[in-house]
Amino acid sequence: MGNVAVVGVGQSHFGIRSDASLRELAFEAVKACLEDAHVPLADVQSMVVSVASDELSCALQPSAQVVDYIGFHPRPSFRVEGACASGSMAVRTGWMNIASGLADLVLVVGAEKMTEAPTARATEVLGRAGDFLWEYPFGMTFPGYYALIAQAHMAKYGTTEAQLAAVAVKNHHYGALNPYAHMRKEITLEKAMNSFVVAAPLKLYDCCLISDGAAAILLASEKLAKRISKKPIWIRGLGLGTGSLSLAHREDLTTLGATVEAARQAYEMAGVGPKDIDVAVVHDCFTIAEIVAYEDLGFCPKGEGGRLVEDRETYIGGTIPVNVDGGLKSKGHPIGTTGVSMAVEITKQLRGEADEGRQVPKAEVGLSHNVGGNGQHAVVHVFSQDKE
Amino acid sequence: MEFRNFSLLVRDTKVHGFADGLERGELLASKCTSCGKVQYPPQSDCPHCFGTEFEWVPVHGVGKLVSFTSVFVTPDHFTPDLSRTAPFSAYGYQPAPVGIVEMEDGLRVMGWVLGLKADSLRVGMRLAPRPEVLPDGRATVVLVKAEG
Ligand SMILES: [Zn+2]
Repeated sequence: MGNVAVVGVGQSHFGIRSDASLRELAFEAVKACLEDAHVPLADVQSMVVSVASDELSCALQPSAQVVDYIGFHPRPSFRVEGACASGSMAVRTGWMNIASGLADLVLVVGAEKMTEAPTARATEVLGRAGDFLWEYPFGMTFPGYYALIAQAHMAKYGTTEAQLAAVAVKNHHYGALNPYAHMRKEITLEKAMNSFVVAAPLKLYDCCLISDGAAAILLASEKLAKRISKKPIWIRGLGLGTGSLSLAHREDLTTLGATVEAARQAYEMAGVGPKDIDVAVVHDCFTIAEIVAYEDLGFCPKGEGGRLVEDRETYIGGTIPVNVDGGLKSKGHPIGTTGVSMAVEITKQLRGEADEGRQVPKAEVGLSHNVGGNGQHAVVHVFSQDKE
Repeated sequence: MEFRNFSLLVRDTKVHGFADGLERGELLASKCTSCGKVQYPPQSDCPHCFGTEFEWVPVHGVGKLVSFTSVFVTPDHFTPDLSRTAPFSAYGYQPAPVGIVEMEDGLRVMGWVLGLKADSLRVGMRLAPRPEVLPDGRATVVLVKAEG
């Protein structure tokens, strides 16, 4: 199997981008990515586009809007979808495209325009990523599902609301240092604890933002990677797991089986373990999701995720810095974009090009973890400075 | 009863009899006639043996609360008029809690918690699932305090 490297990265500013449409956001990311790689679009052979929602983008085949706007036709392009994990699925699909020998240079683009829909509408669309037949009739929303996970985790392991809030405080701390982040401001534990309840026990600051934004990476075969980039970042391990559609079908609500499986695959393929990871981005759509991710990825024993963040072990300088780009929580979560933006962040960290105050020193091996829905899909990738 | 009276969104399914059960006051699971696997929510098809024949069996008894929440920021379908501007309004909207109970045979059932305040709920407490027909003709599943 051929090696595949990230040779270019770019993204738009995340936020309530009332100045731009889906296709215009994607253009910003693609332009930044190609400029970073110093590669003209003419050299790109194939394109994978991740836009999660037809409903939010107001159209079927939203990828066509992107492909057309950047002037990519008539070359091959396709869309990949797995709700909030769409972006990482697109990265994986880009990898497959190259590893299969079909192409040597592939552009992976994630884009989502979410804020044009009213909050109640977006809440409904996102919630229906879960079991819309058997659980939506109980008014289940995306925060509702994760609230059920949080309540179960608190009952089983004694995880506290203050530990949940500590995740938000950390991610806002780093998001404030990220010029591309949606909400660039620090928050206090008190502010997080006293924010209004969205779905008990989750409060406003336990929830990620609804954002607009786009991200792009350029993937190259080994043959081209070294020619294009002085610092190619290699995708060394890939994992993709699936879990039950219905939350009630899970024997244990405190873990995402899809993450455990995806991590197992990715670690095995890369020949590394959790202790070898220098920097990670994990799917913190809700603060509880970050705590569960610590445990499912093996950064701490099961049940100790709350303590890990409370002890500041996931800050830079701790045992495993996590979401030092602000995470979904502060950087924002344009759903189809997130996985691609995660690859952008890890690439920058491993190149040593992250912003001041949030670069992890001597980061050589990085991990991204991206969840679709409430654990129907999970994607884990291991990136490395070294090819082997 | 039309299945959509329960599901809100879906009309057509091979297990539409579930909604008829709710109307009759019965909470129904499916039992695969080939391998005997019981499933809730019911499935017409069996992922264990790939059988496609099933019979209805009632969900009986009392379960233990596995988890619960109260959703304040609601999706479109459930948005009460007063809190249309949620999450930024100051209206004192109180949603009914929603929980999942695990029955003795391992089946897990989601339902609205009826007659209990959210702050009195504890994981592990005993609640019984039962059908409930609403004044508007819709039907749903509720979890109520177990007798005794
Ligand atoms: Zn069977």
